[in-house]
Amino acid sequence: MADATTAAVTGGDATAPGGHRSGTAFWAALASPGSLLLVALFVVPAYAILAVAFGGIDPILRTTVPAWNPLDWDLERFGDVVSRVFGGDLTRVFLRTGIFAGLALVGCFVIGYPVAYYVARKAGRNRGLLLGLLVLPFWISYLMRMLAWVNLLQTDGFINRILGWLHLGSGNRNWLDGDWPTVVFGLVYGYIPFFILPLYAALERLDGRLIEASRDLGASSASTFLRVTLPLSIPGLMAASVIILLPMCGDYYTNTYLTGGSPRTEMVGNQIEFFLRGSSQPQAGASLVIILMAFLTIAMAYYLASVARSQRESAS
Amino acid sequence: MATDRRQFIHRSAQFGVLLGAGVPLLQACGSSDSGGDSKAVTDAIEDGLKPEGGPLRILNYADYVNPDTVASFEAQYGVKIEITTFDVDAEAVTKLANGSVEVDVFQSAAPNTLGRLIAGGLLQPLNASYIPNKANVLPTFDNPWYDEGSAYTVPYTVFSSGIGYRTDRIDPAKVEELGWEILWDPEYKGVTSILDDYREGLSMALLRRGITDVNTTDKALIEQAGADLGELTGLMNIKVNIEGYKDIPEGATTLAHTWSGDLLAGAYSYLPEGTDPSVLGWWYPSDDVGVVNNDCMTVTANAKNPVLGHLWINHLIDVANAEENFSWNGYLPPITGLDADYLIENEYAPENLRAAVLDDAIISKGLRFEPLDMETNQLWERTWSAFTAG
Repeated sequence: MADATTAAVTGGDATAPGGHRSGTAFWAALASPGSLLLVALFVVPAYAILAVAFGGIDPILRTTVPAWNPLDWDLERFGDVVSRVFGGDLTRVFLRTGIFAGLALVGCFVIGYPVAYYVARKAGRNRGLLLGLLVLPFWISYLMRMLAWVNLLQTDGFINRILGWLHLGSGNRNWLDGDWPTVVFGLVYGYIPFFILPLYAALERLDGRLIEASRDLGASSASTFLRVTLPLSIPGLMAASVIILLPMCGDYYTNTYLTGGSPRTEMVGNQIEFFLRGSSQPQAGASLVIILMAFLTIAMAYYLASVARSQRESAS
Repeated sequence: MATDRRQFIHRSAQFGVLLGAGVPLLQACGSSDSGGDSKAVTDAIEDGLKPEGGPLRILNYADYVNPDTVASFEAQYGVKIEITTFDVDAEAVTKLANGSVEVDVFQSAAPNTLGRLIAGGLLQPLNASYIPNKANVLPTFDNPWYDEGSAYTVPYTVFSSGIGYRTDRIDPAKVEELGWEILWDPEYKGVTSILDDYREGLSMALLRRGITDVNTTDKALIEQAGADLGELTGLMNIKVNIEGYKDIPEGATTLAHTWSGDLLAGAYSYLPEGTDPSVLGWWYPSDDVGVVNNDCMTVTANAKNPVLGHLWINHLIDVANAEENFSWNGYLPPITGLDADYLIENEYAPENLRAAVLDDAIISKGLRFEPLDMETNQLWERTWSAFTAG
């Protein structure tokens, strides 16, 4: 995630500052404590998940007994979960999660790109103010914002009242009835600031001379956008997408709060929560985490490959 | 220090309890696995100790004890109470087992996990000399099935599982006629919910088919119950949550498989202003064959304030304190005298929810969630997981 953000902010240019060997060593040394911390905060928890997934259960308390030694790993339960995910009763939950996250990503793009573009390229003196407004939602916890939407979306909530005043629909629609659009909307609302900010950083660094050159050569505004601006913002788009896609796929409270716990919109995160927190088989929950990570690693690998390709093209 | 006669008898009784009641529970808990040697703590604290300086640390569900009742204890003993919360029983067991929380009192332990907590050495026996108010507890709980002789526990609340509904939207006669079946009536599609608890949910589906063994190990029955619940997803657009206490009074839900305490709590705490509590209805099987459960108060084995812990338990089963606590959280303390007549007369419960106030008959006939062996328990969990996955 940190790499993704850095890449976005630098527009995909990951070249270390400095230039001399001694300078490189200095910056590497400076970055090492933070890097070590990041590694520790990723590697250790990731290994703990493996140890839980392939570990055992205390026969009395039924709490997890992690298997820290790989030689002690028991793969049977993991295999059982894999069979449930691929062609079993959990297939739908994975597909549903992927579809919800994909739709929310599209929603974030449609709403977020124009906002990021405007703030980065057109806002002028108001840029600071607009950036502040974009950051404003972070001041309130995600959970609180979701709970606020529960009030707004309930049958006698403000949304229905406004729709009623505008004579749009019956005015008594139950938005919290376990429908997928509500969940997708919640995901878009919850994660869009995380999408806009890295995208803004990429667009703000975009070389304006290239756009001017395009216009000077006779391209229309639309053509310039489609053939210059958009392609150049792809690294930023990729970074923004990865940043929101990863947490969205593990999200469980958006669905929980906005549908009242409907099985029709259950996501992988809900299953992980059940097995890890409320069951006597935390290995199943940890196994689901591993499978989800495997899927997301594919997305991450694609992103990294795209960034590398972009860097090669820039260098050539 | 020499053991006096009273302590000897007390400890002998506790050892007997472990052999008599604890062992069957432990067998149920660990039968599918080898090992599982009991680490049960058998010694209670001695008589006549002074209360510690606190703070008293409690593990409890959120919003499950009246802040006024907490404040009165703090004032009486000059200590602070710190409450750590949890959402589901398995989470509490995990927190206690891995030491991520260190508390003096586990205030809402589920009876079907008690055997494991005792065998795991996480609880200590109670010394009844610090809990004179135990005489206030309903005699039904003198010797509960999960803790012979009440050696380790005092019941905190007792409640049943039934159907809460809105009488202004459903004719009570229809609920009486259909019973559990009404949860499958598509007329109430989109406004119906069931409890987000694998034992409760699957048991309800079993009871609907007239199967009263809510601890069944029969794979076919469990899977049938799962399939029946699965029908609810499309047929009823069912919601799976534990929000009945507010969703029914507020009107977001018309019909809910829920706990009796939720209705009693919701009657005065969550009804919109000006709404009469008579809009709330409660159904429980007329033959009293339904699920009854209770939460238990226990002192943890590594309590730093065990005397205070005992005194806190004693505080909560004082009649006046229990009444005050009930008036806030709606879950019935099994205290003699706090019956339906008294609670209705004193406007703690509306007349129309009389059946939600459990009496001896309901408690003694109620079906109990007993511990399941590991394999069966995991089958129940997996079946539930498949249902909630939609």
